[in-house]
Amino acid sequence: MTTTLPTRSRAPLAPRKKPARTKVYPVVRGILIVLVILVFVLPLAWMVMASFKTNVDINDTSKSFIFDPVLSNYTNVFGNANYGQFVFNSFWVALWATGLSLLLGVPAAFAMSRFNMQKSALTVLLARIIPGISLLVPWYYVFANLGLVGGYGVLILSHMFVLIPISVYIMMSFFDSMPLELEEAALVDGLTPIGAFLRILLPLSVPGIATAGILSFIFSWNNFMFALVLSGANTKTLPVAVFDFVSYASIDWGAIMAATVVMTLPIVVIAVIGQKYIVSGLTAGATKG
Amino acid sequence: MTQAKWTGTRRSFIAASAAVAGAGALSACGGGGGGGGDSTTLNVTLANHVWTDLITKKISEFEDDTGITVTVTQLSEDQLVDNYKVKLNAGSKDIDVMMYRPLQVGKLFGQSGYLLDISDKVGDAGDWNWDDFQKGPVELTTYEDQTVGVPIITESEMVYFRKDLLKASGLDVPTTMEELENAAKTIKEDNSGTAGIVMRSQASAAVTQFSGFLYSFGGTWIDDSGNSAIASAEAKEAYAFYGNLLHSYGPDQMSTDMSWPEASAIFAQGNAGFWIDASSLYQNVYDPEKSKIADQVGFTPFPAGPDGSKPYNVAAWALAINGESPNQDNAWKFIQWATSPEMTLEIQKEGVPSARTSVWDDPAGTESYPEELAEAIAKNAENGVGYDRPRVNGVAQAREIVGGPIVAGISGGDSDAAADDANAQFQELLDGEK
Amino acid sequence: MATTVQGAPGTRERFSQWLNAHRKWLFAAPAMIFTALLIAFPIGWTLYLSLTDAKGSVRSPKGFVGIENYLSILSDLNRFWPAVLRTGAFTAGALALELALGMMIALLLWRPFRGQRWARTAILLPFVATPVAVAMMWRLIFEPNIGFANRFLSWFGIPAQPWLSDPTTTLPTLVLVDVWEFTPMVALILLAGLTTISEDVEEAARIDGANAWQRFWSITLPLLKPVVLVAVLLRAIDALKTFDLLYVTKGQGGGSFHEAETLNIFVYDRTFKYNDYGLASAALIIFFLLILVIMWFLTFRRRGAKL
Repeated sequence: MTTTLPTRSRAPLAPRKKPARTKVYPVVRGILIVLVILVFVLPLAWMVMASFKTNVDINDTSKSFIFDPVLSNYTNVFGNANYGQFVFNSFWVALWATGLSLLLGVPAAFAMSRFNMQKSALTVLLARIIPGISLLVPWYYVFANLGLVGGYGVLILSHMFVLIPISVYIMMSFFDSMPLELEEAALVDGLTPIGAFLRILLPLSVPGIATAGILSFIFSWNNFMFALVLSGANTKTLPVAVFDFVSYASIDWGAIMAATVVMTLPIVVIAVIGQKYIVSGLTAGATKG
Repeated sequence: MTQAKWTGTRRSFIAASAAVAGAGALSACGGGGGGGGDSTTLNVTLANHVWTDLITKKISEFEDDTGITVTVTQLSEDQLVDNYKVKLNAGSKDIDVMMYRPLQVGKLFGQSGYLLDISDKVGDAGDWNWDDFQKGPVELTTYEDQTVGVPIITESEMVYFRKDLLKASGLDVPTTMEELENAAKTIKEDNSGTAGIVMRSQASAAVTQFSGFLYSFGGTWIDDSGNSAIASAEAKEAYAFYGNLLHSYGPDQMSTDMSWPEASAIFAQGNAGFWIDASSLYQNVYDPEKSKIADQVGFTPFPAGPDGSKPYNVAAWALAINGESPNQDNAWKFIQWATSPEMTLEIQKEGVPSARTSVWDDPAGTESYPEELAEAIAKNAENGVGYDRPRVNGVAQAREIVGGPIVAGISGGDSDAAADDANAQFQELLDGEK
Repeated sequence: MATTVQGAPGTRERFSQWLNAHRKWLFAAPAMIFTALLIAFPIGWTLYLSLTDAKGSVRSPKGFVGIENYLSILSDLNRFWPAVLRTGAFTAGALALELALGMMIALLLWRPFRGQRWARTAILLPFVATPVAVAMMWRLIFEPNIGFANRFLSWFGIPAQPWLSDPTTTLPTLVLVDVWEFTPMVALILLAGLTTISEDVEEAARIDGANAWQRFWSITLPLLKPVVLVAVLLRAIDALKTFDLLYVTKGQGGGSFHEAETLNIFVYDRTFKYNDYGLASAALIIFFLLILVIMWFLTFRRRGAKL
């Protein structure tokens, strides 16, 4: 789908000195930009449209764009008494997991950055690499014996496992770019090193923390594998709940699309508001200033 | 931001355990595992199914009668199985009642000791009347002479067809395999863009629907001495027949990835003359909300092969008690309530075929069904075979193996050679389990 | 959590000094211990199981079989090695396309234009959206009979494609979905790299008469190298471990011919479908080592790199 980009697109470099092209180029570039955006947004738009169709219309390809919108899928999804609960669960788990990961991750990232603890950092980042499936059965075994299963605790812990490496990784590159002189200046002013961290460096790292926080929240919200087996009837999160509409006798596509829209919407809102932070989080470590 | 504040940070040395404790406290609103003795809460895990929808609507009645609080976890089938495997492996106590597929996991769970022996319970249940349950299904929920489950839903192999297309081509409703093939061929020729027949084509998924063909051609999965029988002449004939039906008269876009949702969707949109699948799925094509051709759907019993008409007729789902459950008595109360004659009749009226004989004998039990469907179900029950997949421990693996030749045939390959290959693999699996 | 330290100021001061002296580990330890606690047991458990013939139930009696599981996995030409190949093909295919297209898009969006912020936000969406939702959406779009993809093709007179329902087209289709999902992420990383390149170098080269292509190859690309590596690293880890997309679109087993069975799905099946815990654990250990080797290989040449 995306492969139709003509090779010309590699030349948004400043135009050569041919007046004819200077007129043409911005237009071509504009068209290309619009095309790219369409490719990435249209499927999502189509998902939203499908969520307003009856299943008969979904099954009728002649009604791709022309159909009578209905709200029945949404009433169906929220009529499922627990769905509001699932939305809350996703929020609650993401909130706690994000908060606790930052609590553990930010100081760790500072120390690792400040004292160049490469090897220690690697131990935390191992968690990023290990295939999640190897954790499921043993974790469940341990958590079940601790009597934690079925509550939020076990979900929060498992999500923290994924989020801590993320916040450590992002914050490390953030602290790396912070000049050492800052801390030194604070020490000259009579602060202890820890005081300097708490009073001077931490307030300055708010953008970094916001980045780590937003990305952590998104990762927690999106996590499927852990919630698949670790959540209970009352703590089920949205990615797992979507499968509720794959019932025994039919796949309720309309309801599934409505459920996916409900699941995606908060993330879209976060993306629109925190776009800057998300991008800087992605590129953490990639661009050393 | 005083020293005190940061002593907290220092304390984060044990923050991991503090987090555990804090998170533990948070779990108060989740349904934690039961302690010792029967608690007043009961954790029931059920699959997405019409049966489940009907039962969950009535659970409050059970709660009012008994004072037990029921927590229902409802999952789609794949996730249900994953869940069980993680939880039962860990010896979890937070499942009391479990809905399971006897044919898929009965042997494995029985062998692993996951299912409580309820022989005494069903024996002493008086009016609840264990003898009322059909023999085939009961056999399936029995592991080594112990009753471990109560069958709740039965299904058999149903032929769904389009009355209008048959009529237009001047065809009679097929009663034999030859007639079925001929009808599929004619419909495909007479209606451009319409498939003659659509059935499951995904290797594992197709095994159950293929089983009726296998039996009707005189074949079987495992012979009397416990060896693989899937490369017998009869089995090869059945494989070739099933594969060819779809290869020659199936949809133009013949995928090898269809399970019931895809196959039923094609039929429900009016793009196929025949669809063969479980009787329990009839609402998918009979309900005008879901189907374009609802008013044209016909039902007929499974056609006869060289060995007669031998569809599967099985207990699709059953209820069992987790062997580790601390609430076994309450769990049994729940099962008794959910499978009582009255409740069974009520659920059967809503179109979920049950395993109780009395309900089928009661006219009220079948009045809501399309007449032809009820007749076809009854006919299938007479001729039916009580299993629709190989009965081994590693059912999932076995299904993948014995499904191979089906897919080979559908994609126009050599199903005989594939059957020989599969036979060797299947034999290996059987030897491994001896 | 705060505890006020009571006692003579001297004590308090000494205490604070001690804290400051040890702050390196005080800060770093909690996160490390948390991770270690959660990771050590599973790895130990997996290693232990991989040396046994655990099957059916983890709780049933097990026998010690040494490295037998490893041998049978490594000699499994039917499922294991094809799964390794598929994992490699999926990762390599997705990465190559994502880098090429990501670079094009990054160059396209590099210089300022009106609505730049909105363009960036729009292309953020595919990879922040929940993977399960994205996979469900594509599953419906690629549905051969009712999906929009074939409808779209029909407008151009292209015949319907089987997409995810045919063993030959499944993996390419999945790569396509992955490309849709993650090209924007790669593009945004590269874009961030581009914005750090100063214009003077470009300008100087242009005055020297280098054309756009030459400038890209000899100036922009070399400067971007570290950023490209970061993008490759991040994507490689996740592409190797892709699970949600495959689980949602193809279910367990990865299709009739196991056409979507990558290593992660292979392990999942051995665990949840076949209950072959010994074999599954051996495969997991191999899988884990493989990822480690690839990561080491990628980071080895980036001394001072942070990962």
